[in-house]
Amino acid sequence: MGIIGDAINYIIDMGASAMLPLVIAVLSIIVGVKVGKAIRAGLMVGVGFVGLDLIVTLMNENLGPAAQKMSENFGLSLNVVDIGWPGMSPITWASSIATVAIPVAIGVNILMLVLKLTKTINVDIWNIWHMTFTGAIAYVVTGNFAIGIAGVVVHAVIAYKFGDLYAPLMEDYFELEDITVPHGTATYLAPIACTVDAVIEKIPGVKKINFSLENLQEKVGVLAEPIVIGGILGGIVGLLAGYDFKGAFQLGIKMSAVMVLMPKITKCIMEGLMPLTERMKEILTKRSGDSEFYIGLDPAILLGDSDVVTAGLIFIPLTVLIAVIVPGNVILPFGDLATIGFFIAIAVAVHKGNLFRTLISGSCIMFFTIWIANQAIPWTTALAQSVNLTGGASQIAALDQGGCPITYLFTQLFTRDNMFGFAVIGIIYVICMIFTVRLSKQRAAALKEENY
Amino acid sequence: MKKKVIVACGGAVATSTVAANAVVDLAKENGIDVEIAQVRISEIASNLPADLIVTTSKVKRDFGVPLITGMPFISGIGVDKTKAKILEVLKK
Repeated sequence: MGIIGDAINYIIDMGASAMLPLVIAVLSIIVGVKVGKAIRAGLMVGVGFVGLDLIVTLMNENLGPAAQKMSENFGLSLNVVDIGWPGMSPITWASSIATVAIPVAIGVNILMLVLKLTKTINVDIWNIWHMTFTGAIAYVVTGNFAIGIAGVVVHAVIAYKFGDLYAPLMEDYFELEDITVPHGTATYLAPIACTVDAVIEKIPGVKKINFSLENLQEKVGVLAEPIVIGGILGGIVGLLAGYDFKGAFQLGIKMSAVMVLMPKITKCIMEGLMPLTERMKEILTKRSGDSEFYIGLDPAILLGDSDVVTAGLIFIPLTVLIAVIVPGNVILPFGDLATIGFFIAIAVAVHKGNLFRTLISGSCIMFFTIWIANQAIPWTTALAQSVNLTGGASQIAALDQGGCPITYLFTQLFTRDNMFGFAVIGIIYVICMIFTVRLSKQRAAALKEENY
Repeated sequence: MKKKVIVACGGAVATSTVAANAVVDLAKENGIDVEIAQVRISEIASNLPADLIVTTSKVKRDFGVPLITGMPFISGIGVDKTKAKILEVLKK
């Protein structure tokens, strides 16, 4: 192998979480970032990984046993804590496939643009982690790097096509012209909303139902803040676990800490990736001068809409309730609770802000995604173990992105260990896609009529 | 005098980091001393008072403080106009 081969092996042996900082620093320098800034960026990514391990350990050591005791007391099975996207995204970035996933996902985008297969120019480099996740899971499960890369490609193609499909909804509901969100989570769950909407339209009486909760946000005030959600949830789980007041109170405060600190730590990784992603954005948007294209952005831009905020608030307790109902569910929703909006933001646009319909389709969405996330636990656990970011837990689960039907279907294609699940989820998803294409065409046609 | 700017987005991770960096750089270039609070949209109210709020999504709620949409920092389109608007508020 010689010196170069030895050097490469040495670097890979350091583990992904030590390797990525190095790769990020080098990549940043290559695209023209100053050396000092590039080194800082690489280190910042490393800081994110180290910090994440600390915080997930804090969560697992405290919330984990409490969730287990609570489950025993009430005959529930919620003993695997959901680490959410703030926990799952660093694990994905630490995977060995992540370093090649960014150029692959951008390459797929450029190729599709050139071949006129999409109009979406994705400048949202951070959320390439969703596409990477499918590849990382497929790789860790099959051990085949090529299948992993294929996973990134498949997820990327679907995400960009979703970007095209939802563009009319971005314009007619969110008033965002020539902007779309080719995102991992928000897009792949909205087809369920499209189907629910079509069904409700067919039911006399029910189709007229609509209500709104004006100013719910002002009324609940600080209750909607992650710090308070963490405290309340930790406290309640503690009490239900049979802890005394002191124990439950301590657990509540620790969970407040997790809720507040987790995004701050995940932010370090974003900060480290930023010099690189900003350069990529500059290169990509140079070609988007004319309005024939949609700029693909992070769905965080939808989370300020008041109907999305209201629905997101209602779904904090509702998601916990749904988790209790889903047969055989073992996941206690936690890490994703404060940002449930990502799951339902596009559903709100599908229903044009009709809260009644959003509640119904959002419940279906959460049920569906919790169900898949359960089946993905062995995979997400294997991925976390492969990068040493389990935080001491024996099982790792995340609604976002473990509950992703694209990842699930793609990986099942190769493992074939649950053909029944594969068939059911596959059929549901294909039907939902048909309704999505139909709805997208209807909304695009309505927009055209309005403009003439 | 130090100006306080709240930069908010859905998750306080991705888009707000981009916008916060842009605001810091802009302030530095113009010799304005700023303090940034990077938060989720649901946390804006608790971080008041402030001189300016920049959000990466459309927020219709009135906080009694000038609110500017920082979406151009994310999309890369219309950045100069947004920068001018932010400077106008910060220079007051």
